Amino acid sequence: MSEWLRKMLESKRRARQRLAALSFSEKLKLLEKLRDRSRTIALVREKPTKKYG
Amino acid sequence: MKATLDIINRMQADGVIGQYAIGGAVGATFYLEPVATLDVDIFVSLPTASSGALLTLAPIYDYLTRCGYRTEGEYVVIEDWPVQFLPPTNALGEEAVAQAVATEVEGVPTRVISAEHLVAMALQTGRAKDYSRILQFVESGVLDADKLDAILNRHGLLGKWEQFANKFLKENQ
Repeated sequence: MSEWLRKMLESKRRARQRLAALSFSEKLKLLEKLRDRSRTIALVREKPTKKYG
Repeated sequence: MKATLDIINRMQADGVIGQYAIGGAVGATFYLEPVATLDVDIFVSLPTASSGALLTLAPIYDYLTRCGYRTEGEYVVIEDWPVQFLPPTNALGEEAVAQAVATEVEGVPTRVISAEHLVAMALQTGRAKDYSRILQFVESGVLDADKLDAILNRHGLLGKWEQFANKFLKENQ
């Protein structure tokens, strides 16, 4: 494993630990934000796209 | 979520549901980093489910519809969260609800299925996303190995766990 990849994986692991250590209430607020973003993305996908050619 | 749980607690106080516990991705979020999801799984015991009566969710839907909430397929949208009510279908589910962990969300009391029961239920369900969730739990280090072992043993899941461990955990040991 390259040094760059090792550092990246370690950084991700630390970020996950930091998020997991939040209170349940704080984590649920993050979940609500994630849910709202997913809904927005789904709405954009549903819009009819203009076809060319 | 606070408002959603408020309504569910009111349903319990009004006798529409018995004990309940949050499961699925929202339940897992209690122990892990937030696990993205669009809905909430509520495992619920039904007060009228005893003495061989037919298990029905109709009282829940009727109650919530009267309160002005709309249904979407198997979900009821309560304060912006689609909620699925799941009566336990086996002994593992019943035990998971009975032994859930009491907690609070912004001051609102609620209960969450234990990490070990969530893992056992995911193992029993056995979809790819369930296995992925189990791996998250294992990697997080939040599981009590003795407690998980006892649950798997009680519910005949040790063989399935062995298969899972051989496939997904061996290379990490």
